[in-house]
Amino acid sequence: MSYQFDWGVLWRYREALAEGFALTLALSLLGLLGALALGIVAGTAGAGGRRAARGFAGTYVEVARNVPLLVHMYFWYLGLTALRLPAFWCGVLALAIYSGAYVAEIVRAGIQSVPQGQTAAALASGLSPRQALVHVIYPQALRIVAPSLAGLLSQLIKDSSLASVISVGELTFAAGAIEGETFRTFEAYIGVSLLYLVTVTAISQLTLRTLSGRAVDPEMRY
Amino acid sequence: MVWRNLPYLAEGFAVTLETSALVILGGTALGLLLGIVRSGRVASLRHAAWLYIELIRGTPLLVVLFIVYFAVPPLIGHRFTAYEAAVIGFIAFIGAYIAEDVRSGLASVPRGQVEAGLANGLSPRQVLWLVVLPQAVRRMIPALFNQFVRLVKFTSVASAIGVTELTGATLAVNAREFKPLPLLIALALAYFVAGYGLSLVGRWLNRRYAIAG
Repeated sequence: MSYQFDWGVLWRYREALAEGFALTLALSLLGLLGALALGIVAGTAGAGGRRAARGFAGTYVEVARNVPLLVHMYFWYLGLTALRLPAFWCGVLALAIYSGAYVAEIVRAGIQSVPQGQTAAALASGLSPRQALVHVIYPQALRIVAPSLAGLLSQLIKDSSLASVISVGELTFAAGAIEGETFRTFEAYIGVSLLYLVTVTAISQLTLRTLSGRAVDPEMRY
Repeated sequence: MVWRNLPYLAEGFAVTLETSALVILGGTALGLLLGIVRSGRVASLRHAAWLYIELIRGTPLLVVLFIVYFAVPPLIGHRFTAYEAAVIGFIAFIGAYIAEDVRSGLASVPRGQVEAGLANGLSPRQVLWLVVLPQAVRRMIPALFNQFVRLVKFTSVASAIGVTELTGATLAVNAREFKPLPLLIALALAYFVAGYGLSLVGRWLNRRYAIAG
């Protein structure tokens, strides 16, 4: 084999990798916040009584989920040029809207799995519908779906790699930059993929250990 | 304007469909193989399959494609075209996910079936092939089609390594016409139709062939 490995390149470019990683985390966490906000609203609407709200939520979920994430990103980056959003925020928006659809489905399932009696009891105790939702339904629903939401963060971290295509300098972009300077394609990309793997596995293990109890299935990957 | 460029876009769409079809076949085959190995009796093979699945599932799709297209060729001395690299990468990627669905599908077949098969004198391999798989596959239809729909969306990532599938074609047209909004809306619509259509096929198949309960 004529290819000489030079794994030291990962160490020499550790700053670039660290910066890329920081951007990856920033993209993922901001995307998660956005996705949670959108998803909780859409999920609650989808589980609710009003037909119009359910229709809107359903449409949002189907459209956002069936359109590829890359197309989402291009939409904000190229499509709405009038807005001239910086690439980073296009990435965050795309991730938030795309993942929000998944959160919506998770939240909807969670709300619907809380026994009807809970709502009835809450209303009978004199709570307004909104109070019932916030103080009784949500805590139970979120506890049921918490593991799925943790899995979402892992998914977001992996999905954030697509932002490199619209020139956001996150981890995959950094790998490309290193490869461009050193021609160490294998080391750069394998190194970066290991970094993703370690991060995702760490989150998975953290989830398993902190969210102990009934809802967590040790067989599952988060 | 979209109308004028339709032939080019249609070609891109054809590439997308072709890639999806190839990867669905290859990925399902790989997934079945890995899933069966994962549920099998040889421990070293089980661990090897597990390792592969975990590695792939922890890696972003784009990085997998980059590795196949850029990083592997120097090692094996053979260069892939962008299309080849994309198909190989997608198959490698989705195969790992399908493998997990296959594993649960196999596990969901009641143990009694296996025992009945063995009691009737079938070899373990015959039991797998004649008794377990037919039942498992029917249970797996929703999960499999879920992966297939995801796959159609993922083919858009191939544009990042230069494959002129639908997204790549749309970007090329945009570079010439500078009308991103209608083009991107049409693009989103195309994927929506493809994905939704595929999920409807899955639902029909599920109604016809799924095992009750």
